[in-house]
Amino acid sequence: MRSSTGTGTVPRERGRVTGGVGDSARRPDGAPKVDGSFAFSSDLWADDMLWGRTLRSPHPSARIRSVDVERARRIDGVVAVVTADDVPGSPCFGLEHRDQPVFAHDVVRFHGEPVAAVAAVHPEIAARACEAIEVDYAELDPLLDPEAAIDADPIHPDGNVVRHLRIRHGDVDAGGDVTVEGTYELGMQDQAFMGPESGLAIPDDAGGVDLYISTQWLHVDRDQVAACLGLPTEQVRLTLSGVGGAFGAREDVSLQVHVCLLALRTGRPVKMLYSREESFLGHVHRHPGRLWYRHHATADGDLVKVEARIVLDGGAYASSSSAVIANASCFAAGPYRMPNATVDGYVVRTNNPPCGAMRGFGAVQACFGYEAQMDKLAAALGVDPVELRLRNALAPGDSLITGQVIRGTAPVREVIEAARAHPLPPDPDGRPEVLLPGGTGLTASRGDVRRGVGFAVGFKNVAYSEGFDDYATASVRLEEGVDGEPVATVHSAAAEVGQGLVTLAQQVVRTELGVERVILRPADTSIGSAGSSSASRQAWMTGGAVQAACNAVKETLLRRVAGAHGVDVEGARRQLLVVRDGWVTHVEGDLRLSLVEALDGRPVEQVSVYRHAPTTPLDPDGQGDAHVAFVFAAHRAVVDVDQELGLIRVLQVATGQDVGRALNPVQVTGQIEGGIAQGVGLAVMEEVVMDDGRVRNASFVDYLIPTALDMPEVAATLVEQPEPGAPFGAKGVGEPPTISSTAAVVAAVRDATGLELRRVPIRPEHIALAAGSGADGT
Amino acid sequence: MIPAPFEYVRVGSVDEAVDALSEHGEEATLLAGGHSLLPLMRLRLAVPEVLVDLGRVDELRGVRDAGDHLAVGAMTTHHQVMSDPLVREHCGVLAEVTGEVGDPQVRHRGTIGGACAHGDAAGDHPACLLALDATMVARDPGGTREITAADFFTGIFETALAPDEVLTEVHLPKLDGSWGFDYQKFQRVKQAWAIVGACALVRREDGRIGEARVGLTNLGSVPVRATGTERLLAGAAAEPDALREAAAQAAEGTQPPTDSNARPDYRRHLARVLTLRALQNSLAS
Repeated sequence: MRSSTGTGTVPRERGRVTGGVGDSARRPDGAPKVDGSFAFSSDLWADDMLWGRTLRSPHPSARIRSVDVERARRIDGVVAVVTADDVPGSPCFGLEHRDQPVFAHDVVRFHGEPVAAVAAVHPEIAARACEAIEVDYAELDPLLDPEAAIDADPIHPDGNVVRHLRIRHGDVDAGGDVTVEGTYELGMQDQAFMGPESGLAIPDDAGGVDLYISTQWLHVDRDQVAACLGLPTEQVRLTLSGVGGAFGAREDVSLQVHVCLLALRTGRPVKMLYSREESFLGHVHRHPGRLWYRHHATADGDLVKVEARIVLDGGAYASSSSAVIANASCFAAGPYRMPNATVDGYVVRTNNPPCGAMRGFGAVQACFGYEAQMDKLAAALGVDPVELRLRNALAPGDSLITGQVIRGTAPVREVIEAARAHPLPPDPDGRPEVLLPGGTGLTASRGDVRRGVGFAVGFKNVAYSEGFDDYATASVRLEEGVDGEPVATVHSAAAEVGQGLVTLAQQVVRTELGVERVILRPADTSIGSAGSSSASRQAWMTGGAVQAACNAVKETLLRRVAGAHGVDVEGARRQLLVVRDGWVTHVEGDLRLSLVEALDGRPVEQVSVYRHAPTTPLDPDGQGDAHVAFVFAAHRAVVDVDQELGLIRVLQVATGQDVGRALNPVQVTGQIEGGIAQGVGLAVMEEVVMDDGRVRNASFVDYLIPTALDMPEVAATLVEQPEPGAPFGAKGVGEPPTISSTAAVVAAVRDATGLELRRVPIRPEHIALAAGSGADGT
Repeated sequence: MIPAPFEYVRVGSVDEAVDALSEHGEEATLLAGGHSLLPLMRLRLAVPEVLVDLGRVDELRGVRDAGDHLAVGAMTTHHQVMSDPLVREHCGVLAEVTGEVGDPQVRHRGTIGGACAHGDAAGDHPACLLALDATMVARDPGGTREITAADFFTGIFETALAPDEVLTEVHLPKLDGSWGFDYQKFQRVKQAWAIVGACALVRREDGRIGEARVGLTNLGSVPVRATGTERLLAGAAAEPDALREAAAQAAEGTQPPTDSNARPDYRRHLARVLTLRALQNSLAS
């Protein structure tokens, strides 16, 4: 069951054109993805192409004594073997800090770190060539404990502490009548996208290269590739290929430099396509974390102070760790009024796999901690946990623990009440046995099952923060089509990663120009950057850029019409000439031209750059207006637990989500369902299992993700309060579903079992072996 | 990945298969469905030089009534076993267990002989056949011999079959209506291997338990019987307390593996819980 109820009134400017903003317009790539004709980057092909393959370190920490590639080079069919010595430009790349070697040179710092790459005429030959490369490693003791890493000898010249973010807010000595304390842990989640990393690099005749690649941010890839290849950026051109999911894992460079280097070295097109195992080793994961919290409240239930120490394991290289710990720290108090705060967030280097962006980006880790604390506090106060949240809910005009006052919308009460209002699912007695824990395996019977209900609320920022110059570029071209109808073409470098940006771009143009037919040019670097498809930012940023380009097109067109038809558009009179419903009309006169007539055979094209309102860096006390806007969601989870086996069935997740405005309600609902799937996954099954620094489950046989059989019913309410300053009033919708859904599921399992459950994912033995033993089920 | 090169031999009879194995010795492997073998070959964990395909050996297919037992041809597919009227009537537990193997595609290609000869203690068949006291029939150039299930599974992916021996039939004792049965398979996602499984067979006798047999899946390098449980139940009252007390002994003497799915203590715990549930369901069935 789903419902979409607005709590604000939103004017919907509808013309005769359908599929505009607010409609559930169909995805242009929907049917091809369903019928199998959509070309993913793994389908890329070029005549005479070679296959690239990466040799990776089997050790989490080792000194490289020597690398001997001679035997590999001599294999028939091998065209090139490259190592660190062959990287012509910067030896390192990185999203925020250029600290990660293209190929390990003297040391390897994580299991799976690239050491060499091969190009061969067949992928199997490339694989055998990698096996023939002789690397002499001297194994070192890996540094694996993030807490110990803070003071340990550095494993990298830049040191182990990537960032320590300190927040001091209000009266740090304040105390309350009631305190609760807890330590919480999260394992390493993987983005687990379906389409493994793949790309095709084609060298040109002038020393440059074209790269076709699935990524989240073409320009930042281009800049890193160009720097490592020692080429000017104009000689490295990137085009987006079909992306099979991203969720943050494609924000960092994986094979981009390797495949381009091999193409330039061989003078032939080179394709790389990771296996599932290599994909697990070759991209960043969600930061595992350990969070200590102490909350202080009055006897009446008003929050007084939060103390927190958050340690995230960034793995061997920095990736986006600085921004992740910023989110975890800035949002450490949750969406609640918290007058006083002492937060220390650390993100450190270890010899574990590098961690970076994943849906929710730091906010997920913090939410798991503070929401467990809110439940503990409610229990200590003897009040209903939802009422405690409502009592302390943030509202517009309140300030965060960073001192930032919320100027935009903050419908925290509304999302909580919307989640709570959904009917609960029926009792276990009324359900088919296949819906019990264990599902079709039928290991549970009704008598074995206990039900629990849990609640959680979360929030995070939209778009980039801390003074980053965040912008998006788009161009719109309006012209007469071959059939005599107007057609608009949108060009942007924004990456469609499955979220539906391509639909939104079409919807914006339809609404702004009244043109039914909107063509999307492939995303590439021949236009300016659109920024990353991350941080729930593209609907706002590229939506804003497309809207601005449409307005510029309109302006150009109207001035052309004014000139051609002698209409006075000086000063305020300009407002009298409008484009509406696909017509150019003069409000006072009888001028009425179709768009095609107005174009008069000459296309109009405009490029616009959109920026959101500026943000500022945080000061030494972690204070500042670092974020442009905030988005909120509440989740209520209902679970059945077979306590003897430790099996959990998540029956239902009900949610209220702050969306600003739903630009495409079906797509928003899809984002909510998908985000909840990942939240449920982190709660009960998803973890990259590490064993002494080595990844033990680099496959979908052993890394479990929810399937259709595991997915709960989702009951969603879209809370619509248009955000001032955001194009169309829309906030991003991709991340909020993952932030508090995990915490809600765990709260429900605690409710069913009475166990404390301080760690996710909950493993069956945490419940089964704790039950009746008096243990706390960590 | 692509398997290493191999020679492919298709045989039309058991005799031809035995000849092929005799000729090539340990370099040869039988192909009997291939749902376990081919993935291993693609990963190059199995590198047979000669693959002897039993797919066209019709004499190995089908279920026959052999008086006091059923004889199931080694190349009978899981789907055929599950839907065979004789199996369903006389040995329903095998139909139930077979229904838990893989997915429909696997069950239409995979065979009972292949599943046994693969010798995987995490597979569903071995524990069931052990609990049934089934007998395996094998042929080599010298003739035919019978091997009890207890002697057949000898180690991790190892069986008592000699390199030149072909598993031809599985003999299943017929169970009359006094027997109840149940298979409990614990897996975290559907269509995965059992993390632990418990297969129970219980013979009811005047309100008491005449005999109980419990086979455990994935609790060691070979399938094992829960002998402590069986001993306590022989002649016991069919009462909840007796079942609970007996099931508590299910993991005695086992040495469960550790992997990313479960540690040994949790596997032992699962064995106890699943054995109890399987016994309860057996008595109710």
